[in-house]
Amino acid sequence: MIRTATVRSAAGLHARAAAAVAAAAARCPAPVTVRRDDRPAVPADSVLSLLTLAATRGTELILEATGDDAETSLDTVASVIEADPEPVRG
Amino acid sequence: MMKPGVSASALGSSGLGSSGLGSSGLSSSGLGSSALSSVLEPRAVRTAEFAVDRVAAIHRCADVLEEIDAVQPAYREAMLARERVMSTYMGAGVAIPHGLDGSRALVKRDALAVLRLPGGVEWDGGRVTVCVAIAARGDGHIEMLAALAEILLDPVRARALREATDPHAIVAMIGSAGDQR
Repeated sequence: MIRTATVRSAAGLHARAAAAVAAAAARCPAPVTVRRDDRPAVPADSVLSLLTLAATRGTELILEATGDDAETSLDTVASVIEADPEPVRG
Repeated sequence: MMKPGVSASALGSSGLGSSGLGSSGLSSSGLGSSALSSVLEPRAVRTAEFAVDRVAAIHRCADVLEEIDAVQPAYREAMLARERVMSTYMGAGVAIPHGLDGSRALVKRDALAVLRLPGGVEWDGGRVTVCVAIAARGDGHIEMLAALAEILLDPVRARALREATDPHAIVAMIGSAGDQR
């Protein structure tokens, strides 16, 4: 099953955002992979792998999962990717 | 030869029809084919550092970024504040301290600083021997993170980075990471 998700945060999918996606993916019952364009897919539960996507605001990512839990797992990971939190002000 | 009126950034990866890890000389961030080679200078590499804890290590990172005139003094606190939000330990013995999202205005120019701490520093449950401090004004941050992540995902390259003691070798390792994207 495939689902797309677009990065909305102005800061892009940086370290903190990637950590949130990886944490959510790790809790999902089905393994989820992520890719952009025709590049190789990477595991969504790996912070470093997610960072290699170099996703900025507007980048569309393609998620994939299989099995009974695919849909809920894809929904979860997609929602975290598309989250647009207020930037933390120092 | 580019058409008149077509900006380099507009070509990006999709515009050139090469969406893979091809040899396109233009990256979407506009930093060029080697995302990191122009942002790390040998003088920003310190191979014999010592720090009692991660806060001290981040202070040293800020010292170097200020010495090379890449950041304003207030960026130091932005790095410390960012670390309080979430650890910048990335695994493989490497941390990537950097300022909060809203601190871009404190960055004068995109730059990296690399500090090697042979004695190691306890870092949020991990042990760091190399800090790669990041200062970025915009999307360059994302490209820098991507190139560093590729190094750290490869145990051989990560180890080489941790064990390198020659600043020029470190510049070459990190600078070439951008070429392979």
